[in-house]
Amino acid sequence: MLSKNMSYKKTYKESCKNISKISLALIVLVILGGCSSSASVQVDRTFPKVLGEPKSVTASIVFLEDFSTFVAQPNENTVIDIGTAQVEVLQNAFAGLFNDVEFVTSRDQITNTKGLVITPSVREVQVSTPSDNYLNVFEVWIKYNLEIQSVDGDPIDSWFMPAYGKTPDTFMYSKPKAIEEAAVIALRDAGAKLMLDFYRIPAIYGWMMERQILEGSQ
Amino acid sequence: MSGFTTSNVYRIIVTGSLLALLGACSATTTIDEYRPSGEPIELNADERVVVLGRRDAGHYETDREFIDCVAKQMKGADIGILPEAQFIDSIYPWFEPRTAPKGLPRLKKLMRTPSIKTVVDNQSVRYLVWLDGSTETLDKGGSISCAIGPGGGGCFGFAQWNKLSVYEAIVWDLQDLQEMGRLRVDSEGTSYLIGAVAPIPLLTPVKSDACSSLGKQLKTFFSAS
Repeated sequence: MLSKNMSYKKTYKESCKNISKISLALIVLVILGGCSSSASVQVDRTFPKVLGEPKSVTASIVFLEDFSTFVAQPNENTVIDIGTAQVEVLQNAFAGLFNDVEFVTSRDQITNTKGLVITPSVREVQVSTPSDNYLNVFEVWIKYNLEIQSVDGDPIDSWFMPAYGKTPDTFMYSKPKAIEEAAVIALRDAGAKLMLDFYRIPAIYGWMMERQILEGSQ
Repeated sequence: MSGFTTSNVYRIIVTGSLLALLGACSATTTIDEYRPSGEPIELNADERVVVLGRRDAGHYETDREFIDCVAKQMKGADIGILPEAQFIDSIYPWFEPRTAPKGLPRLKKLMRTPSIKTVVDNQSVRYLVWLDGSTETLDKGGSISCAIGPGGGGCFGFAQWNKLSVYEAIVWDLQDLQEMGRLRVDSEGTSYLIGAVAPIPLLTPVKSDACSSLGKQLKTFFSAS
């Protein structure tokens, strides 16, 4: 009876030791994971619809495959998949700018016979971490380019559109989470920049004046 | 005879030091207030307030935790509060860091846009409280080191740091499109970390003190009817 009791105690002690070891290993892994210098980020959020007053302009937006599946690699340790998210943001924004808008994946699919053809592309994505900027924030810049043409293929403008986002602070954020947060803010900023400035582009303003579309943007 | 033995003297010193440190762990908070009228703003049952953070500064951002904290303080006074994210999403992109109105002229221009005015009215948002500020660590002193070995581990040393919270709140009336007042809160305090085998933190809640002071003072701006 005594020996049975002792072996039970021994097994209990061993299992306790094992649990402690596993817990310690998990804690160390979590800490090491938090200190990891690489980040693979998938921006997977829904973005709000824009509150805009679309103008009576017809536009065809060409989201090429490169753009809708875009994965940025701002440095060797960071990968940000923004393809799907940026298509959603720009779709919302363009729908708030134009009364009649179609979204296509190549120029051949355009059905509009008048208006603008806009092809967005990403020029560059940059990331800055607290170790780079000596601030307690993560920052993301997304530099877009909009190729704007008439439906006949005449170039109207090539518009550079930078967007910026930063995290409020780094407290309680892992590096991937912080970069995702900053990227989401940058994408929202892209929508804001487009809504605010599109009709202020001199070439677009001139094109609209030619067609007697009245000015009245925000 | 008990008398003053060495161990008693040590105990008294340690207790006295701890009490002094604990006493020092309180923030000093100052509030400045300006409003054109001493009367509280009457809020109807269907009118709501939204508390928003300024996020256009380069080196800091008014954090969401602080805004939620102030909003919670105000909610306690039966003031209808609309969550910040809900308002910003509903009016996207006109209250993003790039587009948010920094002054009344821009707000007036925005509110002249029918779609924006409709969204604001539909949500019964009457007042907007802008919060701008941050909490910073000013001075750090002392040092503490921790070690672990096969026989055990522990921390030894003493560290201290000062924190300063400065926040400004500006209240705008979205109906009459005018400023209803402004508040500024400065809260400062020192926190300590004592390493006596186990690390003993004696933290001064500078930010939460700034939040509760600002929230309480903002409550006095409004009276729910």
